[in-house]
Amino acid sequence: MALLIAPSVLILLLTNAYPIAYAAFQAVHNGSLINSGEFVGLDNFARVLGGEAFWKAAGFTLVFTFTGVFGSWISGLGLALLLQKRIPARGFLKTILLLPWVVPVVVSSTSWNWLLATDSSPIPSLFRTLGLGEVRFLSDPFLAQVTVCLFIVWLNFPFMMLMMSAALTSVDESIYEAAKIDGATPRQQFIHMTLPIIAKPTYISWVLMTIFCVNEFPAIYLLTHGGPVGSTSTLVVLAYRTVFQNFQTGPGVAIAFMMTVALATVATILFRQIRKSRVE
Amino acid sequence: MNNNSSLVSNLSRRGFISLAGAAALTASMSACAAGGGSGNAAGSTTLKFWDMPWGPTGYAEEAEKLAKSFQGAGNIKDIGYQQVLWNGFNETYSSAIASKTGPAVSTGGGFQSFQYAAQGAVEYADKLIESFKSDGLYDDFLPHVLDAMKTPEGYVAVPWAVDIQTLWYRKSVLDAAGVAAPTTWDEFLEAGKKIAAKGYYAWGISGGSGNFGPMAILSLMINNGGGLFNEGGELDIVTERNTETAEFVIEAVKAGLTDPGAVSLKDDDLVTQWTNKKVGMGFYYLGLDDQLADKDIVVMDPLKGPHGDTGTIQYVNNIMMYKNTPSLEASEAFVTHYLKNMKVLWEKKLVTQLPALKSIAEASFFTASQSNVDIVNKWQPVAKTLASQGSQSSAKLAAIDGGQAMADFCQTLLGGKTDAKTALTKLHGDIKSVTSS
Repeated sequence: MALLIAPSVLILLLTNAYPIAYAAFQAVHNGSLINSGEFVGLDNFARVLGGEAFWKAAGFTLVFTFTGVFGSWISGLGLALLLQKRIPARGFLKTILLLPWVVPVVVSSTSWNWLLATDSSPIPSLFRTLGLGEVRFLSDPFLAQVTVCLFIVWLNFPFMMLMMSAALTSVDESIYEAAKIDGATPRQQFIHMTLPIIAKPTYISWVLMTIFCVNEFPAIYLLTHGGPVGSTSTLVVLAYRTVFQNFQTGPGVAIAFMMTVALATVATILFRQIRKSRVE
Repeated sequence: MNNNSSLVSNLSRRGFISLAGAAALTASMSACAAGGGSGNAAGSTTLKFWDMPWGPTGYAEEAEKLAKSFQGAGNIKDIGYQQVLWNGFNETYSSAIASKTGPAVSTGGGFQSFQYAAQGAVEYADKLIESFKSDGLYDDFLPHVLDAMKTPEGYVAVPWAVDIQTLWYRKSVLDAAGVAAPTTWDEFLEAGKKIAAKGYYAWGISGGSGNFGPMAILSLMINNGGGLFNEGGELDIVTERNTETAEFVIEAVKAGLTDPGAVSLKDDDLVTQWTNKKVGMGFYYLGLDDQLADKDIVVMDPLKGPHGDTGTIQYVNNIMMYKNTPSLEASEAFVTHYLKNMKVLWEKKLVTQLPALKSIAEASFFTASQSNVDIVNKWQPVAKTLASQGSQSSAKLAAIDGGQAMADFCQTLLGGKTDAKTALTKLHGDIKSVTSS
């Protein structure tokens, strides 16, 4: 048995353990991408935590992740419920709705940028035509944050829709019929039956989506480069900038480590929730 | 029980944590390219030359032809030419150098050679530059460009071009607004207001992705006798001259000279605005008129700042040789070959930089353009580097050039909702943070 799993263990060690160990090494050294540098203990962590940029990015990461997870879950679940019903062109609709997830993020980010970036872009032009004034989606720091959050929801709702569709498919229709006979309203059926039944896949999708959102880099970077003035920088964008633009490898890797701890904590909490729901 | 439930039963807590951990570390892992194969192994007969897109369409093809015309030296029989895009070039070089799969010779960012020399990856070019004294090449360099490559340890690279920011204007737009090309900051503001009143973007500037915006702001700082450093080479940003410059930019923004969406405008968008005749004035490289094949675009004389100073920023672009080479002699021979034959790039108008060699800058194909002549005669003599007001370039400048601190500063000013001192104080803090080890 040990011999059988040895290749997998070896691959896991090479692809996970070595990079993590090397990153740990870099996080406590003041080196560069080329040189290992000197041991500096936890200085890199202290330096990162003492900077305004980290807390700003951490705050936006929370907002971005919360919006990304629950925005895509609510819209995905809503559409999954809709697609359960016998509506015309259901298959076609399902295919169309999957497009944001299927299209490469480079293409969709570039398209959104083209649609929104300048005053002459189609969406700002439309707003102007409708008398809604000059709306600068990517120039105004707050609007840029809103746009980036909407973009991540748009990118990920198809994934949630698939997860929730799969969960809903397995629900036995007869329990709804029994509930109807007992006088349960559609709202009561949804809250007290549907949601508890799909709880486990919901928690799993939340864990996965949290990881996706916290680690999301190309969507943000290609759309706004983390700007304006760092307003849409998440921790992963900040880590990238710290390593590749400021050439501070140690602090950049320290940010990534702190993200790991945060993600592991969230994953653990949600894992407990999943186990709890299994028992119930 | 559905498919997801079976997934749950197969997931352990440890599995979740390792999944989360592995995912979070993705960003840093790309930085961990240690070890790896040797792309320039001794015994290889190919010398790898990496180049950047220094000009319009056609540049890469011509530059590759130029590189491959190298006849070889010693065991080196061939040149491996590769273009590296500006987007993410730092990652490309860093990862490749760390994994020893990088080039033997390359062009690159203005301060890349300083950065990698400090990290021990670049071969100093003193011996090569010394050899230029015997074949006349040494005296062919424009004044000061060789000095710009000098560090206390030696020359980090060899200059080949000078990237200089100059002010351009569209004559028909200024005519339509009834203004002459400005010669001072005050005139620039007054002319700009009249141009803006005609519906144009009086001052074309892009603060989004790219580097045009920060370079324009730096040009103005230097224009006003300021900069990021004092004469002693120490970081000194919150100065009277820089405050005046920041106030000038904020005033221009508030007066409507810039595109209200300039904060998120990409460099390509700015070029499109120039092409579509929407811009009145703005900073750009040498050859904007040639690039757009538009003789309505004219280079301006350097503006006089409030104290009568003139100036702009220039980047001395260079060819660097790396320690990871199959043959240092071949690297040196290749650089010499490239410099001695690169005039074809200007002859065919494929480069948006000044040549580092006088023989090219004085050649008839170059001086046939009046804007080229004006830039050589009027702008280059007053241009200074990013190290200004200091004189010594260093590896630290690599983190400033194209870095986030300058981009944020530029976006803050273009947003127009700040005061000069606050913006400069933040810039000082940000740059101090990235340049302190």
